[in-house]
Amino acid sequence: MDSPLVLTEDEALELLAFLVTAARTQLDEAAEYGPLRLLTAAGRLADFMAGRASPATRQFLAGPLRALPDAALRSVDPGKYATELDAVCQAVAEHLVNHFGGGAR
Amino acid sequence: MTNPVLEAIRTRRMVRALTDAPIPREQVEVILQAVRWAPSAGNRRLHRYVAVQDSTTLRLLRMVSPGMFQRPRAVITICIDGARARSFGMSPTTRSLYVDVGTSAQTMLLAAHSIGLGAGVVTSFSRAAVSVVLNLPVGFSPEMFICLGFPAARQPPAMRPRTPVTWQSLSHWERFP
Repeated sequence: MDSPLVLTEDEALELLAFLVTAARTQLDEAAEYGPLRLLTAAGRLADFMAGRASPATRQFLAGPLRALPDAALRSVDPGKYATELDAVCQAVAEHLVNHFGGGAR
Repeated sequence: MTNPVLEAIRTRRMVRALTDAPIPREQVEVILQAVRWAPSAGNRRLHRYVAVQDSTTLRLLRMVSPGMFQRPRAVITICIDGARARSFGMSPTTRSLYVDVGTSAQTMLLAAHSIGLGAGVVTSFSRAAVSVVLNLPVGFSPEMFICLGFPAARQPPAMRPRTPVTWQSLSHWERFP
């Protein structure tokens, strides 16, 4: 089955600009901004995809991915921040397995 | 009687969520008029301010500014005029240049607050990319955005300090103990 296109050229360019400029700003900024930028990019990508993705992916985007840990948490409680990120990673993996049909060995 | 200046200083906040309502140009001009009176080392006036209200330019600025979470309806960019600084024998890294970015910023933040606008600062942007978007002359360095708009009813949670902050905890008399 063909995978639907979920980004317009404008949206892809916006995301590309964010990623490239974030690489540059990160050279001068606190290390804890690294994961923050990646999560912001993930959130924007999810926003762009939401209207065109499959129903299952749309449901995933509206669910666990919305539970990204708050940026402030990284410095206040690094352990909790990692735990919450792990939970989101687990949800991502579960959706990948369902979407691509792997992991059922 | 409440001192309105102290009250404005005390109640100002970084506003991260803004409504879609446009800002009248006159209100942006009020802020630009205020920053004209900001403290400036030696009264040298080595900073320039670029006000943007065009929606396409605002969108482009946001694309190259990873730290811009809000969607401002206007942005004022504080720039250092490097050529003018050099004419005073100053290097681009002279501290006072950056101190005065701060005095400009605080002046504009308070001015915005005083007229009911929400304002927040952003420094996480690509200076090279912003220079292109704003068509800055060679030697101009964009250093800070003041993002403006009307405050949304719901704001993201404030970043809490790791330990309680009072004026006493930040201050010492005469010398450190």
